[in-house]
Amino acid sequence: MPPPTLDSILEERRSQPHQLIEVLQDVQEHYGYIAEESMRTISNELGVPLMEVYKVASFYKAFALKPRGKNVITICTGTACHVRGAKLILNQAVGQLGVKPSEVSDDGLFTIEHVNCLGACALGPVVTDNGNYHNHMSPGKLRKLIKSIYKTDAEEISHD
Amino acid sequence: MTPKVTVNIDGANIKTARGSSVLDAALEHGTCIPHLCRVPYIESIGACRLCIVEHVVNGWSKVTTSCTLLVQEGMVILSNTEKIRKLRRNVAELLVSQAPNSRAIQDIAVRCGVKEVRYPFRNSECVLCGRCVQLCPGTFGVKAIGFVGRGKDRRVESPFDIRSELCNECGSCTDLCPMTVVPCDGPMKTGEEYLCRNCESKMAFAEEQGICISCDFGEGFQCERSPQNF
Repeated sequence: MPPPTLDSILEERRSQPHQLIEVLQDVQEHYGYIAEESMRTISNELGVPLMEVYKVASFYKAFALKPRGKNVITICTGTACHVRGAKLILNQAVGQLGVKPSEVSDDGLFTIEHVNCLGACALGPVVTDNGNYHNHMSPGKLRKLIKSIYKTDAEEISHD
Repeated sequence: MTPKVTVNIDGANIKTARGSSVLDAALEHGTCIPHLCRVPYIESIGACRLCIVEHVVNGWSKVTTSCTLLVQEGMVILSNTEKIRKLRRNVAELLVSQAPNSRAIQDIAVRCGVKEVRYPFRNSECVLCGRCVQLCPGTFGVKAIGFVGRGKDRRVESPFDIRSELCNECGSCTDLCPMTVVPCDGPMKTGEEYLCRNCESKMAFAEEQGICISCDFGEGFQCERSPQNF
């Protein structure tokens, strides 16, 4: 199914400035990131100054301003996860995939992001892959997780 | 005629217009509360935290910024207590460590009684006071610059870091920037920052911290008590 166009996302929301975050969330969900051009269109259609749109989009970690990889691995570096070794996990991910945080790997498959809290502090260190939570992460568990994601991707490609 | 309310600032009962902020009321009646981010006639955002005061309610005092606190009938405000001076001194110290090259901020720091800077000098060009953002008129009232990012990555920028077509090049932002208001003669070099304390000699009572002096500084910052406005 093709992603809905910006037009259909904006449908029935035009000229309603308070819908800004909802529209940005939908754009983020369907396109994976918020492009400059989308922001300009949103600004025009909702009647929100471009500065406001950019300010909101740059403020929240949930919005990406650059394209993300196919799989987004989010590593929590909040206080609880930090004391339980989130840094080791981040290093493991960075080393294994060879990308810096919030950049896309060369094959376009992975983006690593670190956020300040995922809201599951008792389960820390927490890692999510595309929205699936994994608790009590260790570098070893993460290595297996990344391998399994590679495997599923390879299967998908061979099925196509 | 606008309705008046009576507030008590540092023991003085003053009558002021309803809807004005405590900071405006205090300045209007001659109590100088140090402030940096306030731009007259524009709603304050409480960014610099220098104008903190104690707001006493039922015997309990709450520290809050006076620029965002609106006057209410019978309000009791303390602007020059030991607690406030200590907190304000710390705020000023952090500001001067962030941007030691700003004469305006150096002045404020000394006026707030900063004697030494215990934090590493960061030599930033910006203290995020937001004066430029508050004032930027843009085109049709649409701002051309604003705060971008969050936390330690917060900065003032135009959308996508290219000059916005809404910018009129009016220069209001640079006029109001504390980095350009009465610029320091010799910008301090990296590694050689210090608290200049030049303006300390102009203070009437150096030991009376927080007291208002008719300083050059007021000129650029539209301080009601600057020599021009007397």
